[in-house]
Amino acid sequence: MTLFIATVRRLSTLCGYLSVALLLAAVLVVCHLVFVRYALGQSAIWQHEFVTFSLVGATFLGSPYVLMIRGHVNVDLLPLYLGKRGRLGLALFASGLSLAFCLVVMWTGWGWWHEAWAKGWRNETVWAPPLWIPWLSLPLGMALISLQYVADILALLTGRAKPFGPLVTGAEGGGEGP
Amino acid sequence: MSPLVLGLLVAVVTILVLMSGAPVAFSLGVVALGFLLVFDGFGALSILPDIFYGGLDSFALLSIPMFILMGGAIASSRAGADLYEALDRWLTRVPGGLMISNIGACAIFAALSGSSPATCAAIGKMGVPEMRKRGYPAGLATGAIAAGGTLGILIPPSITMIVYGIATETSIGRLFLAGILPGLMLTGLFIAWGLFDAWRRGYQFAGEGQHFSWRERLVVLPKVGPFLIVIAGILWVLYGGVATPSEAAGVGAVFCILLVMVIYRMTKPAALWHMLRDAMRESVMILMIIAGAALFSYMMSSLFITQSLAIWIGELEVNRWVLMGCINIFLLIAGFFLPPVAVILMTAPTLVPIIETAGFDPIWFAVMLTINMEIGLITPPVGLNLYVINGIAPDVPLPTILRGALPFMLCMVVGIVLLCVFPEIALWLPRVLMGPQF
Repeated sequence: MTLFIATVRRLSTLCGYLSVALLLAAVLVVCHLVFVRYALGQSAIWQHEFVTFSLVGATFLGSPYVLMIRGHVNVDLLPLYLGKRGRLGLALFASGLSLAFCLVVMWTGWGWWHEAWAKGWRNETVWAPPLWIPWLSLPLGMALISLQYVADILALLTGRAKPFGPLVTGAEGGGEGP
Repeated sequence: MSPLVLGLLVAVVTILVLMSGAPVAFSLGVVALGFLLVFDGFGALSILPDIFYGGLDSFALLSIPMFILMGGAIASSRAGADLYEALDRWLTRVPGGLMISNIGACAIFAALSGSSPATCAAIGKMGVPEMRKRGYPAGLATGAIAAGGTLGILIPPSITMIVYGIATETSIGRLFLAGILPGLMLTGLFIAWGLFDAWRRGYQFAGEGQHFSWRERLVVLPKVGPFLIVIAGILWVLYGGVATPSEAAGVGAVFCILLVMVIYRMTKPAALWHMLRDAMRESVMILMIIAGAALFSYMMSSLFITQSLAIWIGELEVNRWVLMGCINIFLLIAGFFLPPVAVILMTAPTLVPIIETAGFDPIWFAVMLTINMEIGLITPPVGLNLYVINGIAPDVPLPTILRGALPFMLCMVVGIVLLCVFPEIALWLPRVLMGPQF
């Protein structure tokens, strides 16, 4: 159990690194775009698409990491007024609901991605990149965030984490963020 | 079930799911998916990835992480403290100069960082102790900074304005310009109240001045000047129609990171990494809400709720100002519980057709909405700024901060009323600089 939670956290941490790398790539490419368009006076071919794909990728792949460090904003008013058991129940309910959503998006997303991959769909632009590469970020990101949710729920059930509490690190190992 | 009853049901279920404490992004997704499955059948599943992914598939959205990165770079440096010092040194001879420096520094830093809590933290760390040291009451000192920090989402470049622009397909350049004069107006109102309150309590303005030599005054300028030039450059590029917001923000972010590295010698990999990671965390949080909200607004219009609501309110023939009043109260309450970005994404696509039917300008409405959200930032239970100030000045109890912030909230309400009476405060600048709309 501890090993599972720690492994998932490592995976999510890796996602955090990946997401920052994609964001950084987007920053650099947008500067390149500006240079090409305004300094050289040429038209940009691939930069807009690349930047958009990086951004979407950074979001979906960064999501598990952001969930792990409790970065997804929520309304935590009700938990303040509940007792210990109520808080646990509510935290399990909220996590379960979110997990269900992520699993549905992951499930439908795989089919959607597979179609793009199998049929060799490309973006209808001059650059025409294959769509399965950027689209992969959706099912993959959702799969990883589902794993993080499972780990969070397990941590709640086994008392390793407090419901709606601050991030518990250290004990499970691999908990330190990047 | 009629679309209106359905709309009511959606509202109730959304509130319940949000209250469970699930992340806003997934709450919106769950509600949207649930209603689509029940009322549209399982066919909805096939378009789910397209809409969820499509919500983010836009070059314009890039401006969000870029502006966050730019603000993050500035907020992680000592720029806030230097800005505060610069204003203090220059305004020391003006009566009430300290109050003006504090709120003015908040307004400028808010524009630079685009973040309300970051502004409170950066200016408050210097400003709150200094104001208290020079005799301002604790409630006034903390309340002023809490309120001053909220200007971050109104004065451009503002993330909430970008989000509004994307959600409602309104020009971001125009929205930015529309925020400038109302931002300055609120800054003026805050300063006026701060000075009046201090004077009313018998505060001696004459005694607060410290003397700074011209050398001391000039030495702080090179540190803050470049950041101000970058912001001015971005605004110039935007309203001149030279580049898109995403391009301007991307280049601005790189400039600000370089400036921080050069001026503040922030070259340690760990410090840079923290800056990037924090920017990523905030961007992912906002962008996931945008993806969830895309699904939510698809559901709303697919079930004809958005359209029916606009028609129904149009047929009610209520006075348009009564309608605007009700919308304001609704936004205010939503702002008490939810962060500004979430409120805008959930409500703007539905509200904008309604207010346009009633003859209001969507650009003007963006400013109204933003001021409502600012009030939410300094009211419990979510009021982020209050907690930041509480962290800076732990010896000032939260109720004292809240009481200090209350008159500033009233200033914002006065601002809303002024905007209703004189919509030109928001609309004049965009019209003069960018020409009439449409």
